[in-house]
Amino acid sequence: MKTRNLGDTGHESTVATFGAIALNWLEQEGANQLVELVLDRGINHFDVAPTYGDAERKLGPKLRQHREEIYLGCKTQERDYEGARRKLERSLDRLGVDHIDLYQIHGLEYEHELETITGEDGALEAFRDAKEEGLVGDIGLTSHGNPQLILDAIDRIDDLSTLMFPMNPVVAGKDDDDYDYEAVLERADEEGIGALGIKAFAKGSWPSEEELPEADRPYANWYEPVDTPDAIRARFDFAASQGLTTVVTPGDPKLVAMVLDAASRYDGMAESERRSLIERSRHDESPVPEQLHH
Amino acid sequence: MNVPRTVTTALEDRPIDGAVCLDAGAGVGNTTAGLLADGAARVYAVTNDSEHARTTVERAGEIAIPDADARGRDRLDALEADLRALPLPTDSVDVVTAHGLFNVVPPADLEAIVEELTRVAAPGCHLVVDDYEPIPSDAAIRALFALENAAAELADGRPMLTFYPADALRNLFAGRGWEFDRHRTLLAPVPWTERHVEAHANVVRSRAKRLSSDLETALTERAEALEAAIGSESVGEMYSVAMRLSA
Repeated sequence: MKTRNLGDTGHESTVATFGAIALNWLEQEGANQLVELVLDRGINHFDVAPTYGDAERKLGPKLRQHREEIYLGCKTQERDYEGARRKLERSLDRLGVDHIDLYQIHGLEYEHELETITGEDGALEAFRDAKEEGLVGDIGLTSHGNPQLILDAIDRIDDLSTLMFPMNPVVAGKDDDDYDYEAVLERADEEGIGALGIKAFAKGSWPSEEELPEADRPYANWYEPVDTPDAIRARFDFAASQGLTTVVTPGDPKLVAMVLDAASRYDGMAESERRSLIERSRHDESPVPEQLHH
Repeated sequence: MNVPRTVTTALEDRPIDGAVCLDAGAGVGNTTAGLLADGAARVYAVTNDSEHARTTVERAGEIAIPDADARGRDRLDALEADLRALPLPTDSVDVVTAHGLFNVVPPADLEAIVEELTRVAAPGCHLVVDDYEPIPSDAAIRALFALENAAAELADGRPMLTFYPADALRNLFAGRGWEFDRHRTLLAPVPWTERHVEAHANVVRSRAKRLSSDLETALTERAEALEAAIGSESVGEMYSVAMRLSA
């Protein structure tokens, strides 16, 4: 599988990153098998979080067995020093390892959070101390939120090595600033920051609870995913050809193998084909009457 | 306010900033919006559909250009007019766009429109023609387009859609003094989404209503069957040809 420089970290990540949240939905035996499959396909970048049910625990056994082959990302939603330190130690314990390669501020959403994180006794200070102690390697940030806030974070955190944010044809087709993750991508590239793409396979929001109760959803994703091999391949090719370093696999284990297959066959995507994919989803949330011309 | 990528891609290498532009066949204003966003000094958006003209004006109101006070609406004239007889002076336009126009122009009107666009173009004027290559013969959606043309021929005496190859339009304009500048692919394949398919089936339904009840039933049933069978299809190519009038 193709690899790319993860910004200036010195690590070369595979074009697909394993989103270990998928392990949460499996028994330990199934989790072990999925990790073996992922490694067998050549993936060298894993991402997990304490908020993904017991994914950390289920990742543990195979992670320890293959620790040298895996660049391990983990994260915390704690914003202050003490909280971040506590969660880091808990993650190390649950994963059963003594080092996390990439530790990320998880799910930045509000300006005031950025204030807290970067301020005195903020989470970032805990990250930096842990880095000096050798508990973590690189420092990253993840956000599904406002792209402008991510740009602010880049300005304010000078030792940021990676960013994780949404990238798919639906957001790429929208002009307004609320969806301008391309500006984030461009800036990340300029600053030597590695870029991890999430929501690459999002088709749309799930129908309401009344229409489709959560228990009846066919996939354990936050969003309704595309789910055919062709659609998954197109979405993977799109995200990977936008300039991301790596594309994170979706949360449902049933989709992971298809994404791995797409990733192993990735060979770029023509610009006109990328526009074609944007066009296909452009009418989904059209703010005006029909705009049927392409 | 979203300007389609096809439009931004077709305009990105054209000198739009400060130019007087004619958007020929403005539709709902996608290209007009792109021209205004790129800083056009004035855009004449020409359409023969009053509903389209209104939508274009509404959407243009959302467009502002950075570092300028003028919003889109101040720089827009939405004109309801026939492209064969434009209400614009000779040699008055710096950029002409025809985005998705020619596929709804029947062959009989083609020459007159090319002639008129050339008349209003100032020396050195830029032209951008974006359209669809003929649909491949094995595409399912061809049957729907053929049905649409049949219904339109019966109801209006003219076809609805004609897909001119890029080279054909290029040669036609070359014959009026336009010099070829560049060709690029905007979409490959072209996504004909469920909404596109439905819109084309709706054209059949609306034309069929004006025919005898036997014909209406037959055409409508056929349109519905095709709509259901096709669903959506990604096929064919959308191109962009840029030309320039000799200075």
